[in-house]
Amino acid sequence: MTSPLSRRGLLAGLGAAAVTAAATPAAAAPAAAGVAPVALATAGAAVAPAETGIGAATVPFHGPRQAGIAEDPPAHAAFVAFTLAAGTDKRALGRMLRLLTDDAARLTQGIPALGDTDATLAALPARLTVTFGFGPGLYRAAGLTSPVAELPAFRIDRLLPRWSGGDLLLQICADDPLTVAHTQRMMIKDARPFGSVRWVQQGFRRSPGVQAPEHTQRNVLGQLDGTANPRGPEIDPAVWNPDGSSTLVVRRVRAEIEKWDMLSVSDKENAVGRRLASGAPLSGQSERDEPNFTALDDTGLPAMPDFSHVTRAHVTDPTLKILRRPYNYDGAPDASGRPDAGLIFAAYQRDITRQYVPIQRRLAEKDLLNEWITPIGSAVFAIPPGCAENGWIGEQVLS
Amino acid sequence: MPRRAGAVVTRLLAALAVLVAVLVPGSPAWAHAQLVAADPAKEATLTAAPASVTLRFSERLNPDYTTIVVSDAARQPVPAAAPTIDGASATITIGQTLGNGAYLVAYRVVSADGHTVQGSYPFTLADPAHPAAALSAAAPVAAAPPDSSGGGTGPLISLIAAGLLLAAAIFWYARKRRPPPR
Repeated sequence: MTSPLSRRGLLAGLGAAAVTAAATPAAAAPAAAGVAPVALATAGAAVAPAETGIGAATVPFHGPRQAGIAEDPPAHAAFVAFTLAAGTDKRALGRMLRLLTDDAARLTQGIPALGDTDATLAALPARLTVTFGFGPGLYRAAGLTSPVAELPAFRIDRLLPRWSGGDLLLQICADDPLTVAHTQRMMIKDARPFGSVRWVQQGFRRSPGVQAPEHTQRNVLGQLDGTANPRGPEIDPAVWNPDGSSTLVVRRVRAEIEKWDMLSVSDKENAVGRRLASGAPLSGQSERDEPNFTALDDTGLPAMPDFSHVTRAHVTDPTLKILRRPYNYDGAPDASGRPDAGLIFAAYQRDITRQYVPIQRRLAEKDLLNEWITPIGSAVFAIPPGCAENGWIGEQVLS
Repeated sequence: MPRRAGAVVTRLLAALAVLVAVLVPGSPAWAHAQLVAADPAKEATLTAAPASVTLRFSERLNPDYTTIVVSDAARQPVPAAAPTIDGASATITIGQTLGNGAYLVAYRVVSADGHTVQGSYPFTLADPAHPAAALSAAAPVAAAPPDSSGGGTGPLISLIAAGLLLAAAIFWYARKRRPPPR
């Protein structure tokens, strides 16, 4: 353990040096004028990768709660689901999770995984997080009762096995796609003896620096997505159980973009219940205005159409809100040019049955947006608590 | 001369193609659900209070996406049950006996292609059995567009654009026809 720790220390030192170097020119500007930053950057490149604040940024891995949930979502994500090999028991699960925890603890801090075959790719973590989720099958394999159950069938579902289910999930997020790719590759390699890859869903959001972090992002249909998320003090009671655990629903939602493209802006706004440009509810002026479902327009019709997505999904009780952390996907179009695009809808909440299912049930019953979106994948995972530096993810469940 | 005539035909065809190109994007709007019949009728003056309002559209209605509201002159909604749908028709039963005055029927339905169609129209109740009292108190229905539809302006804009283009084409053609100055 001494070797990796000292390497971590060295890297941390380099990172600090880089930050100091970056900060110094501003302070010392009168003396060095505009030449200094270039010279300093060149000097830095000689000893470390030419990292920026974005590339060097890290998110702590250890703690009572797992990372990758409450933080502002990085730009790139890979959701990797595994099917456990037959005969993988509680003890084998412990071995697997010790190994994967060690990988995640290192890689998220910019340290190569043990036996990393491309150690140089680990140097820029770019806010890398690895979040572990346990599907019902993992608890079955361990002989335990699962805290999560598959979702009920919804009439809008057109689920494909290739995007559904999973015994173990790794949600890998970073502000750089190469970092995600390297982490995915290393961790699949280490998980391979214990199971097979069931599906991988790769998604993206806006790149870092493109928008202010607090800005709500748009999805591939052009809608601001996440306005109704719990914020600040609302997050704890909605997302985290007292023991640091949570739950995750991952739905792959295909967007029928070519049909959506045929609508006028006002049609799209009626389907969503919000103005496309501002994200304001049709009953209000700005994005954060609470929708007013009793407001009437000048002909007496409800300003918020009763079939609109926001009207149907709206939750008033903050403890019943879900934390949506979606990523867009945009695969290769087919030969006729039809896009393969949509949303990797990831929602965190304390209790799937109490929080997520009622919302999804209302949307399945009635939501005009259903005309242009189709759920094609679905999976549920328990999110175990985080771990201390000498611990491993899942120790509370599998020890 | 035959060559010149050919060029004229080509130009006219080009102008026609432009016209079609301009008009076609607007044309789906004409396929949207439209209100084709209403009871009470648009702008009607009734002498007996209606117990229900029935609207018939040009295509089948989805019960999930059909809203009908009747409001009084003060723009307060009149209590009514959710609409019952029969094919292309929707009916709401009014939950009270209306007093004399001006009313507005507003509807919001969704076409098969997902396009939202909404509009409104007024009617007046003047039941001689209930003389002037309520009627005089009721302000005329104002400020409500008589029949506004989400996509209603689309074809109009297309037509104006087409007209402008046609004018431009004629101007351009006339200029070309003029003998050169020299």
